[in-house]
Amino acid sequence: MAAFILRRVIWTIPVILLVILMTFGLMKNIGGNPFRKTDRAVTPQTQANLERKFNLDKPWYQQYALYVKGVFTFDFGPSLAQPGRDVNEYVKEQFPRSIKLGLLAFVWAILLGFPAGVIAALRPNSIVDYSVMFFSNIGFAVPSFLVATLLIYYFAVKIDLVPTSGWPLGFWSLDSRVLLPSFALGLLPMAYFARLVRGSMLETFQQDYVRTARAKGLRYRRIVGLHVLRNSLIPVVTAAGPLLGFLITGSFIIEYIFSIPGIGRGFVSGVQNRDYSVVMALTVLLSLVVIVANLVVDILYGFLDPRTRETGR
Amino acid sequence: MRRNRWLLLVAALVAVLAFGAAGCGGDDDDAAAEETGATDGGQPAAEQVFRIGWGAEPPSLDPGKATDTTSSNVLLALMDPLVRLNPDTLAAEPALAESWEVDGNTVTFNLRDDATWTNGDPVTANDFVYSWKRTLSPELAADYAYQLYGITGAAEYNGCEKNCEALADAVGVTAVDDYTLQVELTSPQPWFVQQASHHSFLPVHQATVEEFGDNWTDPENIVTNGPFMLESWDHDASINMVKNPNYRDAANVSLERIEGPIIVDGTTRVQSFEAGEIDALDGAGLPPEEIERLKTEPYYEQYPALGTYYYGFNTKNISDVNERKALSLAINRKIITDEIDRTGRDQATGMTPKGIEGFDVINPNSPWLPPEGDMEEAQALYAEVQNPHSKINLFHNDAPGHKEIAVAVQDMWKELGVETTIKAQEWAQYLEFLGPPPNKAVDVYRLGWIYDFPDAINGLELFTCDSGNNNTNWCNKDYDALVEQAKSEADANARWELYRQMEGIMFDEDGEVPLTPIMWYTYPNLENDAVRDTFFISPLDQIDFTKVVVQGS
Repeated sequence: MAAFILRRVIWTIPVILLVILMTFGLMKNIGGNPFRKTDRAVTPQTQANLERKFNLDKPWYQQYALYVKGVFTFDFGPSLAQPGRDVNEYVKEQFPRSIKLGLLAFVWAILLGFPAGVIAALRPNSIVDYSVMFFSNIGFAVPSFLVATLLIYYFAVKIDLVPTSGWPLGFWSLDSRVLLPSFALGLLPMAYFARLVRGSMLETFQQDYVRTARAKGLRYRRIVGLHVLRNSLIPVVTAAGPLLGFLITGSFIIEYIFSIPGIGRGFVSGVQNRDYSVVMALTVLLSLVVIVANLVVDILYGFLDPRTRETGR
Repeated sequence: MRRNRWLLLVAALVAVLAFGAAGCGGDDDDAAAEETGATDGGQPAAEQVFRIGWGAEPPSLDPGKATDTTSSNVLLALMDPLVRLNPDTLAAEPALAESWEVDGNTVTFNLRDDATWTNGDPVTANDFVYSWKRTLSPELAADYAYQLYGITGAAEYNGCEKNCEALADAVGVTAVDDYTLQVELTSPQPWFVQQASHHSFLPVHQATVEEFGDNWTDPENIVTNGPFMLESWDHDASINMVKNPNYRDAANVSLERIEGPIIVDGTTRVQSFEAGEIDALDGAGLPPEEIERLKTEPYYEQYPALGTYYYGFNTKNISDVNERKALSLAINRKIITDEIDRTGRDQATGMTPKGIEGFDVINPNSPWLPPEGDMEEAQALYAEVQNPHSKINLFHNDAPGHKEIAVAVQDMWKELGVETTIKAQEWAQYLEFLGPPPNKAVDVYRLGWIYDFPDAINGLELFTCDSGNNNTNWCNKDYDALVEQAKSEADANARWELYRQMEGIMFDEDGEVPLTPIMWYTYPNLENDAVRDTFFISPLDQIDFTKVVVQGS
């Protein structure tokens, strides 16, 4: 197990290097002047001054080397679009907020999606099953910005249950503002989990050992609770890892609509503003999150499914 | 038992969603009016707290680095400029400067002697000398350094690469004594005093900047000298300000607190306002699809703005002036302003917008910009063109509103026999495409210009041969000569005549029509009863918080 983890960690380095190269190449190629924000042209003096300040007047290989160095020393430099703000500070401030949003959305997904999938699997082809699948389809089909706007309209404007926007800033602080955004973001994962759990459980029910257990006379509840549920978890866990990774790296739309100061919004604004430092930092961060999520899942897999352990991975 | 519990859970799910669906079809709740209480010139509220919804995170609160309206408005609340502009006449009124004298190229500001920084230090002329030179310094690389180029030695210092000490000393701003600031300009520039109301001319506290460097604008470090102080700034979340009790004119400032959540999405801003969470928006813009509904509400306000929305021609592609004239004539601007944009904008009859002083003299009332267009004349003219384009590329950036206008114009040009292809681009890429010089594929492009200060030269000088904002490939030496002449003309009326001539070169009967202005901007906004009487947005998009009073019920 230790060797396995070590090997995976070492493999991360070339992956990150590739990510940096691709991001660098893409950002350079889409052009655009990071220093021109409005209709006003930037005077040649200002352009020269800014390029000198941010090392953009150097040849491309030197800039690339500086980026790589920055990534491995965790010093991403100052933001181009927001003068006076350090990218490190910016990420440290905004990333926990996206993490919180993602975690809460994940909680919704588990709280509602998981039981829904279980019920549907226990009563296949019944009215219960059909309704759960129906709502699951809605979750997939309806875009999150529509859900978000409708939620704000009904629960914040018409019935003054929660504020329309905003986000409690401290990592551990929670108030009613977290409800709508996390639900809107969690809708798709909810639908996804419901389907996944249902499908996985139905498949497990077909397995020979389940039939054997019934034949042996075990109580239905014990079969479901002990054998079926646990064994259905494997595909769910496999999906949950990257899903959680995807959720905590921030959702641009939800963060934009609810004015949540997270990195989802920051990433898209960074690209639009051609803020090279921010984009580089966030791309690397996102890649790391995905890599770590996949690694964790692979390790968990080993614990959950003894069969993989036996092959001596 | 277990089954029933599961069933209950599903039932709850269904109930929640059904509840939401049942809410459909109800009528709008005028929550805003209920929350804040209607008033007809009632008493000021006991708690003078004003909540404004900012439309964007200010990239910087350093006067040297700030470029956008949010930063500008926050800075003008935190700081005391030399002069402020009268909201109706846009004339310069004394603020930090008690008085000023203009003598040829020299402007002398006499500062008050009772102004202080929030840490107790007095505000002196030296603060301005330090701040202006800092904004011009190559190390700071300030975007708005060009605002100060009217000062002698400024452009040279800003363009210096190394060993800039001598150039820094040569910049024409000096402190004659603690309270007298003398400025040497490169030419008379009669608008300079009005221009000094812009945030790039604000002073900064030298000791604070030198001690904290880039972090000097953090709430715990910042030192300001204006009517309000920065209480907290949670990036991308909110900016809160409190009244500065030591401000020189504190007795006349009513607001105690300004709370400013930052809400970037237009629809969410409107929803937040209608839920009663904020008292007013900051003029950042309303979602176009909501305008029709919001216009009927009592809390909708509209302010004229100094800005022009125009379509520019690539005169290298569309080189026949008759073709440009015909395309311009074919546009029915009234339809665009009244049916498509619908925010009460005026149809443009020249480049310089209404509201600029001297407008009546300057405006050419161009025969090529009739408000309702003239399709017959346009078709007749088009028939005279040698090699008319049957296909034209119209470029615009992908912000809300532009596509609908482009589609209308596309339809209007179809009647001329022109097939227009509309291409929308993302902002940064769009700007690169436009150059100057613009990409070969560009035939017509959309741009707007918001004036920095209330003088027509700010818009007219865009179209000189070397201007970085001239994307038309149009170059007229006579025009350039007039611009230079105007910059040195001290007499207002004489200057307006020169501006008229410039507009004439572009838009008179025999004009060259390098661009076709469509409309002059407005700022639509939402304000509730409690603040509507005292809150306003100036034509230069500036908000004066010292005048706002929250009315009680």
